[in-house]
Amino acid sequence: MIPAAAPETSELIALADDTPETLLEAFAARGWGDGLPLVPPTEARVAAMLDGGDPDEVVGVIPPRFGLATRRALAVNAVLAGCAPPVFPVLATAVRALCHPEVNLQGVQSTTHPVAPLVIVHGEAVTRLGFNAGCGTFGPGTRANATLGRAVRLVLMHVGGAIPGQGDQATQGQPSKYAFCIAENAAHSPWEAYHRSCGVEAASAVTVACCENPHNVHDMESDHAARILLKVASAIASLGSNDACISQGEIFVALCPEHAATIASSGWSRRDVQTFLYERARLPRGELLAAFRQRRWRPWMQAEAPEHTLLPMTEHPDNYRVLVTGGAGKHSAVLPSWGMTRSCTLPLEGS
Amino acid sequence: MTHVLSPEGPPGTVPRALAPAPAVLAGLRLGVLDNRKPNARLLLTTLAERVAARTGARLVLVTEKANAAVRGEAEVLARLRAEADVIITGSGD
Repeated sequence: MIPAAAPETSELIALADDTPETLLEAFAARGWGDGLPLVPPTEARVAAMLDGGDPDEVVGVIPPRFGLATRRALAVNAVLAGCAPPVFPVLATAVRALCHPEVNLQGVQSTTHPVAPLVIVHGEAVTRLGFNAGCGTFGPGTRANATLGRAVRLVLMHVGGAIPGQGDQATQGQPSKYAFCIAENAAHSPWEAYHRSCGVEAASAVTVACCENPHNVHDMESDHAARILLKVASAIASLGSNDACISQGEIFVALCPEHAATIASSGWSRRDVQTFLYERARLPRGELLAAFRQRRWRPWMQAEAPEHTLLPMTEHPDNYRVLVTGGAGKHSAVLPSWGMTRSCTLPLEGS
Repeated sequence: MTHVLSPEGPPGTVPRALAPAPAVLAGLRLGVLDNRKPNARLLLTTLAERVAARTGARLVLVTEKANAAVRGEAEVLARLRAEADVIITGSGD
């Protein structure tokens, strides 16, 4: 539901000069910014970012401030983050996806858990817009990944009010709250592109998934799918994860191309990976009962059973979301869920 | 001198507001909605019992929703509306 538009309050702020120090100081005084230097959002830069789009169009409403994410507001934050104008449709699509009800953005924004929205770019836009799907995709060094991820965070802070200690009550937060954007390495994936596996047939798409930082899975030795995926499963089956007591979350598994190739060479499909992880990423019922007084298990998991019975970290194989990203080497990643959120994949605007 | 735009965008309207609190609780029916945070039921029920003892209200219903991070299920909210006049809910970590 989008509330009736409130009067536009987008104000022009006068600064003594256009130095980075002056802008940073002015924004900090208002409680704005992520602590890093910002690009001044002048009217000219914002107009270039909008590229003729309707500045008053409301893309979504972002809790807990319930600010209206107009295209103008998104463009201001895209400029601040250092985005190049061609990536603006990725930001608009990501924000639109975040506002889908199944994402539960109000919970994501305000929980004590460190959860942050991961943006995943799929399809031809990856190359066209300069996103890095290869070496260091989760890390620094590529403008598109870094600035798009940062722009999403700035929108959540400025429009949504996710200011640490105020709208954002994360106990510790996590580094990916600065920027969290990767791209799918479809060229080196043995399986159907992720967005197509979700039923999105567009040439390019954007996924948002609210999760923890990536947890590394190292395997230099294995020559069979099961041996690699046993290590992945062990990284998932953790008592410290929300998935242990909520057991309904989506767990993203970002396989590197070499692990994916080995898994595929064993004749395994994406579905086989999901099923294996569902079967093997488990903890003994007795350990779970001892660890958690509050469990959001489905009734079948609540049923009486011996303590050594192994229970899954999530209730269905579909909740394992598998894609390929990264470059050469043998490191994959698991991204546990906050638990009470679902990912959303949408066609890229204009795609 | 240079000018920059605010990054906040216009404020929206909060989708729902709390109902006004009753001035007098005597004779009203109290309900507890356990949000399933650890100790929520103990804390909220104890609070409701003390409010009832002090004001003459009656604790008539203690129920729960699936978890703290999502809205209550429609049937739970409907039961609270039907059976209670004042609801006590909300417990943090």
